[in-house]
Amino acid sequence: MSDRDRKLREAEERAQEEALIAEEREEETYQAPDSRFRAVLMLFGSLWRLIRGEDNRWRKVRWLFSLLGPYRRQVILMFVALILATGATLAPPFLVGKAVQAALNGDSTALELIIGGFLLAALVGWGTSYLQTYLVGWVGERALQDLRIRIFTHLQEMSIGFFTRNRPGVLISRITNDVDALDQLISTGVVTLFSSTLTLVGVVVIMLVADVQLALVVFLTLPLLAIASLVFRIVAASAYRITRERIAEVTAYLQESLSGVRVVRSFAQEQRHVERMGELNELNRQANLKTVYLNASYFPAVELLSAIGTAVILLYGGYQALDLATESARNAQIGIVVAFVGYLSTFFDPIQQLSNLYTTYQQGMAALDKIFDLLDTEPDMVDKPDAIDPGRLRGEIEMDGVWFSYGLDKSAGLKRSSGLIERGPDEEEDGAAWALEDVSIHVPAGETLALVGETGAGKSTFAKLVSRFYDPQRGRVLVDGHDLRDLSSTCLRSQLGIVPQEGFLFSGTVRENIAFGRPDASDEEIEAAADAIGAGDFIRRMQNGFETEVGERGVSLSAGQRQLIAFARALLAEPRILILDEATSNVDVRTERTIELGLERLLEGRTAIVIAHRLSTIRNAGRIAVLENGLIVESGTHDELIAAAGRYAELYGTWAELAAA
Amino acid sequence: MRTFMRLLGFLRPYRRPLIWSLLLAWLAMGMTVLIPLLIGGAVNAIESEHRDRILPLVLALLGAGILRLGLTVGRRLIAGKVSLAVEYDLRQVFYEHLQKLELAFFDSQQTGQLMSRATVDLQSIRFFLGYGLIWVSQSALTILFAAAAMLVLDPVLALIALAPVPFLVVTATRYSRRNRPAEQEVQQRIGEVTAGAEESISGIRIVKAFARERHMLDRFRNSVNRVFEQSLVSTRLQAFYTPLMGFLPNLGLAAVLLVGGLQVIHGHTSVGHLTAFYAYVVLLSGPVRWLGMSLSMAQRAVASGNRMFEILDREPSMESAPDAPALPEGHGQVSLQRVTLRYDGAEPTLTGIDLEVDPGRTVALVGPTASGKTSLVGLLARLYDPSEGRVLIDGADIREVDLASLRSEIAFVADDSFLFSDTVAGNIAYARPDATQEQIESAARRAQAHDFVTRLPEGYETVIGERGLTLSGGQRQRIAIARALLAEPRILILDDATSSVDARTEAEIKKGLREAMKGRTTFIVAHRLSTISLADEIVVMDRGRIVDRGTHEDLLERCPLYEEIAEKGLEDSVYLQRDLDEREELAKL
Repeated sequence: MSDRDRKLREAEERAQEEALIAEEREEETYQAPDSRFRAVLMLFGSLWRLIRGEDNRWRKVRWLFSLLGPYRRQVILMFVALILATGATLAPPFLVGKAVQAALNGDSTALELIIGGFLLAALVGWGTSYLQTYLVGWVGERALQDLRIRIFTHLQEMSIGFFTRNRPGVLISRITNDVDALDQLISTGVVTLFSSTLTLVGVVVIMLVADVQLALVVFLTLPLLAIASLVFRIVAASAYRITRERIAEVTAYLQESLSGVRVVRSFAQEQRHVERMGELNELNRQANLKTVYLNASYFPAVELLSAIGTAVILLYGGYQALDLATESARNAQIGIVVAFVGYLSTFFDPIQQLSNLYTTYQQGMAALDKIFDLLDTEPDMVDKPDAIDPGRLRGEIEMDGVWFSYGLDKSAGLKRSSGLIERGPDEEEDGAAWALEDVSIHVPAGETLALVGETGAGKSTFAKLVSRFYDPQRGRVLVDGHDLRDLSSTCLRSQLGIVPQEGFLFSGTVRENIAFGRPDASDEEIEAAADAIGAGDFIRRMQNGFETEVGERGVSLSAGQRQLIAFARALLAEPRILILDEATSNVDVRTERTIELGLERLLEGRTAIVIAHRLSTIRNAGRIAVLENGLIVESGTHDELIAAAGRYAELYGTWAELAAA
Repeated sequence: MRTFMRLLGFLRPYRRPLIWSLLLAWLAMGMTVLIPLLIGGAVNAIESEHRDRILPLVLALLGAGILRLGLTVGRRLIAGKVSLAVEYDLRQVFYEHLQKLELAFFDSQQTGQLMSRATVDLQSIRFFLGYGLIWVSQSALTILFAAAAMLVLDPVLALIALAPVPFLVVTATRYSRRNRPAEQEVQQRIGEVTAGAEESISGIRIVKAFARERHMLDRFRNSVNRVFEQSLVSTRLQAFYTPLMGFLPNLGLAAVLLVGGLQVIHGHTSVGHLTAFYAYVVLLSGPVRWLGMSLSMAQRAVASGNRMFEILDREPSMESAPDAPALPEGHGQVSLQRVTLRYDGAEPTLTGIDLEVDPGRTVALVGPTASGKTSLVGLLARLYDPSEGRVLIDGADIREVDLASLRSEIAFVADDSFLFSDTVAGNIAYARPDATQEQIESAARRAQAHDFVTRLPEGYETVIGERGLTLSGGQRQRIAIARALLAEPRILILDDATSSVDARTEAEIKKGLREAMKGRTTFIVAHRLSTISLADEIVVMDRGRIVDRGTHEDLLERCPLYEEIAEKGLEDSVYLQRDLDEREELAKL
């Protein structure tokens, strides 16, 4: 698959993801998905379980809060601001009631004092909200930044085997999507939890203190809310899930017909696709219609409830007031009635916000689990404490009775529970199917070994073991007589060069890419390496020569050019051992020749393991190993093997025949 | 503004329900505005000790609440339906239009971009048309009604209470206007973080091989810091504006309380009025904020609309006339006459191509990358139109015949075989949905696909593709060949069709292809001699021109470019295994 295709596919995936996220937001903003009351209860239920340690997340949450440790002062200040701000929002209805009372009493001094207090509360509210919002943003973003860097650092410590087993997209979304979900939890979630709970408790307490009887009568309407919510919950449960499935189908279909537009056109099937799209579109509409019906009845019902609450306050509170003997007591009671009417409007808000929080909590916790799955995965190949560093290697490689099975590999991928899908590294993965069986071979320093065989024969496994992406279950892989497991990884890695099939480049200039392994290389060295490979000419012909930006993954270059730059990069790093996977992509004839020459130059004087695809490479190799089902069936030079008239000779015959056909 | 009006055009078919829902919304708002009046009245009744007046007022309040419930339910039902209908229409219009646009359009567009238009942009338009408009009118009306009620109650107090409203609207609009670009920049920078992470992870082998983890970490840290800095910009805006929007109504409320309270003390107004005013000020803060929100929603919808119309306004450049005749009967005589092809004014991809191919012949097109081979075969199916010259099939200029009839006579087997998420049988019968099981199986047999298909878990009924079973490259290819065979085309086009299978499979496929090519004109876009060997004749192309044509032997003798290609082909272009999955796996090394 070419880079362009891959990028396209990724862009598509992103767009699809964005669409789904937008879809979810829609629910929150416009249709508020879940039952208010139940969600609040469930939220507190989960929090209770969390704190009592009934699920194993407490450790993770504590760790999460430890991220805030360095910013302790800001966090404390934020909470002080939060409490003050909440207090300030609670004050107005109370003060309005007092003002009404003062007005009725004809006490203008008291009125002015109360208004002064009102203004003060408003100002305090303004100031503290500013402080709180700013600090939440600051601390939250700081913590996230730290978290991202921590995950990234952890990822870089993982072995290559780990990256083979886990899809890049999944790993990346740990740094992006999951961290974002945590952001919601930390910044919005924590603040909402505290301020809404405080507000709710504050309102209840103030109402109870002001007038126990009236307060209790008002609270009697709450069961109505609970019943309405329960009914809604039961009916709505599946409706929203169905809408999500339907829109996902529409998006997937759209995606498919866009990617396959060539096929659609060349078989003239446009009409059929339009019709199918119409069907899916209609199904989506139907599913959404159900939620429209549900919402249409639920939310206005909640509105009605607040009208009922107001009616109860006016009626009961009014009669209470009229039953009072003195004028001033009556005035006070009228003030309380007005204040209660005001509190009623602040009463439903926190419930609404807390219930939205349940979703945030669930998503955040899921993200936390996923991130922890990653952070809990210990780097699987750590050096022994007494690892040897023999200094410069000669590059002699030996496999001594090596058995390897992916199924038995202890360094498994991330848990499936977290939604990560392990990528089966090879088809032989299941059970104890051996990818390599009792493989023994000796490669003298400076010689090239070409690996030949069919798909799944074990060629890439062989190369991976030499690179120590995995350790064998039985037998040893030796370099200069040292078992790889005893060798310091820095020593091995600094002298082992890997040239992947698709010349992978980083965004940056050509120069930066060639000097990737040796950032201190001089300009002369860099250009000399490029010239030695045969890449100097085309690089100089480019607009900015060595300073040309290669674009993300080197998209602005052709596959052949990328390959050549990757060769130059490897050459400049001067590895003792080279693992090379020959590209099979089509390049044009002229580039092909340059690549061939560059390859020869690169292999000169070092030990190389080449997964070979070109006959010329195979023929030029000092030694050829033919792999079949994890076994080395033959090894030797080209001529020896042809003379032996075995498997290699047979294969060679087929190729030559094909080539000549 | 023009875009805005055009967007409104999508509502035209739903004018009647729309008017109904607006009417209901207004009535409901009327009820909402009535409630504070009733509260005020009730408070007055309490204050003046008219016990018998309290109950009727409270009942009226309940009545207003119930009436509002009914009105709102009705409004939401109607508006919800309209919104969904508009969504349906938009998606369908967009999709149908895409299906009409010429293929060159898709080459110039990234699929991801189109996807985001069809999903994200469509969403924002639909929200605005479905909900935004109603919100705007509802909010504006609430403010208007409440203002009217207050003015009637007490003009002076009303002016004081309403004084913060314009400031609030301005603040809300300004906030959303200033915050949006800041937020977008945050998203942009998060995108950079993602891209950086992606690069480091995809290139981890290189990073490790060259022991450059520190360098990558520094790069990453840098981009993460950029996100932090920009987030702070957005946070500061939020920290400034949000509390301000909470503070302004309080200021008005304080003024109302002071002035109103003093009036009550002096007996100029009743405490009920004061309470009603209090209730109105509380009531107003919501709609005022929504108005600001709706405005930014409208801006977003217009921006999305512009992107949408950019595509919808694109005239399909390749439509056959409604009365165009079908492709005349024939056996696949192909003729290209002085054909030049140029995409969007760039260098021509093909220049002055003259090519006659007799029915039933097999022609291999050979040449370096970007020599124009693929473009040439694309012209035959009219995936592109030539900029100059013309293409004739069986004597008819293909621009003058019915497009569907033309394409049904041409089948493609492309290098990357795209299959749909459907059963194997469904995929093979793609061009002929009415094909019988026998026909499907016979096509599969000829394409050497039958054996492996019957070994699949559910045989021909196995669902493949994204939500089904993943096939190997070679298997996909053979199903694509079967699909082309079942279409029984006059002209068969193989675009390097055997590049991703191993040697053994390639031999099998070749057997199938030989069978399939019998009796039809075949074009092979080939990169290897092994495929070229299927052809009767070889056309050598370079830089958009035909350099030479002839048999393998002739060309070896007289055409240096062909000689070079042939030589390289014999030597090196024979790849030993080309299984796609294996390639991906190896790419990681």
